[in-house]
Amino acid sequence: MILLILLLGLGVGVLVGLLGIGGGVVLVPAMVYLLRMDQHLAQGTSLLILLPPVGLGALLGYWKHSQVDVRAGIICAIGILVGGYPGSLIAIPLSPRHLKGLFGCFLMLTAVLLWRKRQPQKVPTSGQSGEAASG
Amino acid sequence: MAENTARDAGILVVACVSGMASGLFGIGGGVLLVPFLVLLFAFEQHRAQGTSLVALIPPTGLLAFLGYAKAGYVSWRIGLLLIPGVFAGAILGAAVAKKLHPRRMRQVFAAAIFVLGVWQALSAWGG
Repeated sequence: MILLILLLGLGVGVLVGLLGIGGGVVLVPAMVYLLRMDQHLAQGTSLLILLPPVGLGALLGYWKHSQVDVRAGIICAIGILVGGYPGSLIAIPLSPRHLKGLFGCFLMLTAVLLWRKRQPQKVPTSGQSGEAASG
Repeated sequence: MAENTARDAGILVVACVSGMASGLFGIGGGVLLVPFLVLLFAFEQHRAQGTSLVALIPPTGLLAFLGYAKAGYVSWRIGLLLIPGVFAGAILGAAVAKKLHPRRMRQVFAAAIFVLGVWQALSAWGG
């Protein structure tokens, strides 16, 4: 059991580094299906795992190749911190069944977003491209 | 300067939305941030991923986490066991990402996530 958990962490970690995501989107279903957790417990545990800087080592890899916009990153961190609390207020009173179903819909939405190709060098009218605003 | 401010404000709004999802679904939020940065703010893919990792370094989920902890929805033992693996795996993944043209990889991941999503929704509401 412990070995399974350690390996699960390693597998999720590879995705974290590879895709630049937190990993919760994989951790939560993995804990629900492989470790038989209930949906709320899996989500709370996922948030616990994401408290320490689990992506730090991966970030250094991107940093060395100057693939980081620090300014945008800090703004994103503030936004996530602020948005997280109201999100949890919505989730906690929901029935586990509906929360699980909503999570499924959310996964489908993120899949569609991830699948979409990068727009071919179309610089939006407002603001500069990511490359121009270096960190 | 004004253009930069508008861009920053836009990124802040998008990040708040990702934060809502983070609290609602117990995730980091990067899975939304990365596509948003690429699609809405014309970030190059690798750069969006590196930037998302910056946003995940501080404990941004702290407020949401406290909500879950108060309600008793945290398994400390399993959570603490998962942390070292995620940390080590992430370094490995970042090393591989540099060598990969990540679009194919991302699409495989997206397909897997989609199937997982359908499964979750069906097992909750179907039957």
